[in-house]
Amino acid sequence: MKYVILIHSNPQPWGHPTGEYIAENQALPAEQRERLNAEFERLLTEMSENGELVHGEALADPSTSTLYRWSGGEPLATDGPYSESKEHLAGFFLIDVAGPERAQEIAHAFSGPGETVELRPAMWPGGEEH
Amino acid sequence: MDRELEDVWRRESPHVLGALVRRYGHFDACEDAVQEALLSAAVHWPSEGLPANPRGWLIRAASRRLVDALRSDRARSDRETAASLLDPEQAPVLGGDDSLQVLLLCCHPSLTPASQVALTLRAVGGLTTEQIAAAFLVPVATTGQRISRAKARLAAAGARLGDVTRADLPSRVESARQALYLIFNEGYAATGGADLLDVSLTTEAIRLARELHRRLPSDSETAGLLALMLLTEARRAARTDARGDLVPLADQDRSRWDRSLIAEGVRLVEAALPSGPVGPFQLQAAIAAVHGEAAAYADTDWPQIAELYRMLEAAAPGPVVTMNRAVAVAMSEGPDAALAMLDPLLREPALVRVHRLHAIRAHLLEQAGRFAEARNAFGEAARLATSTPEQRYLLRKAAAIAE
Repeated sequence: MKYVILIHSNPQPWGHPTGEYIAENQALPAEQRERLNAEFERLLTEMSENGELVHGEALADPSTSTLYRWSGGEPLATDGPYSESKEHLAGFFLIDVAGPERAQEIAHAFSGPGETVELRPAMWPGGEEH
Repeated sequence: MDRELEDVWRRESPHVLGALVRRYGHFDACEDAVQEALLSAAVHWPSEGLPANPRGWLIRAASRRLVDALRSDRARSDRETAASLLDPEQAPVLGGDDSLQVLLLCCHPSLTPASQVALTLRAVGGLTTEQIAAAFLVPVATTGQRISRAKARLAAAGARLGDVTRADLPSRVESARQALYLIFNEGYAATGGADLLDVSLTTEAIRLARELHRRLPSDSETAGLLALMLLTEARRAARTDARGDLVPLADQDRSRWDRSLIAEGVRLVEAALPSGPVGPFQLQAAIAAVHGEAAAYADTDWPQIAELYRMLEAAAPGPVVTMNRAVAVAMSEGPDAALAMLDPLLREPALVRVHRLHAIRAHLLEQAGRFAEARNAFGEAARLATSTPEQRYLLRKAAAIAE
């Protein structure tokens, strides 16, 4: 089953890995930060080795985006960001796992202080017979 | 590519792999060598014609590649491989039939089901990494990782060809059946893109299940698995309409069902049921057989299906079985009894987000004439569905009730 893990974050300044630029994360004791980083790296390696990680991308600063909105019968381009909200889409992973439990386990481990991790099932073109 | 030639080399590949592994060990390297030999066959056979002894041709081609690979490895590492083993002219001798052993090795308990499936399709099915990736809609690199990881894990676990003891055999055959069933389901559930693939997972799963049944004719669950696949595959042409939308069993045009597959499936399950322990595959096949023999949905023997689901629930309990049983109970006893069976499932946090539970409940509520609740349940099921064709179907149902 495929899921997308969306990292909503607002690093200051914008940078990756986002945790390094987030006050709540910087405030953690050094030992705990190292442990979290090591666990994340271990999981990412495991997932790329066993084929669960299909793809992942880190995204550029939201102010660099271009938004296309329909206006007067045609698309009108304006410079981003998409919203003035506190968090922005900072990156995403596409995973392909055995079931929802494993997806939840991964999203749990991808979480960090000061960020929101969103786990969304991907739609697929097949279907079961009823 | 000529289908007939492809069938030949795919059929021969597990025998070739078995012969190589038995002689040289090194499952990982042998498997790579067989893949290279298959690619070589794909190049040579269409222009030069089928060799007189395809298996011998493939074994020689794979042996040469294996010896080259082991030699270059040996140049780098220790000299553990005896030089006498590396004579490509001394091709392995065929000793009996190793393809069953290769299947059991691919379904080794140290591997996850996803790895068992990928490795089985490649090592036993003779599919390329590209074909497997296309069938599972994942990138080639991801599939390649799964396969090489699976081989590394087998090596680390010290798994060997033919290491299945008599005591282990039932559980290993069970794993193999589960892997073949996963392959079948993956192929059957896919509706889009089938024309883009040059390989059908359902055809492949049926071919491998036939092989397993031929090796173990007295194993009644294997017969049940093959029967279930045939009886399900028989409905393929009727399960989607011209637009590619899913057609539920109730609305399928039964004249499009494949009668010969149904007859074969019915024969298999009728022979299997009295002959050994009755397991989940035989029961599911028996249910599919009852559907297959009904001339119309209204003619279905629902009390018998409800009884078979009751037996299946006892043999292999689970929410999906309970849901299916509820449908059969609704058809034989009415929707109220069935809705009562679903109530406990709705209280389970792990199930409340399963779209199928709400979809079945919606149909039962509609049957009971509780239209407002049915509309809400179809809407809830559509919200939770992650299959695009199912979601479209559920949204159509919700809209139809609203009118």
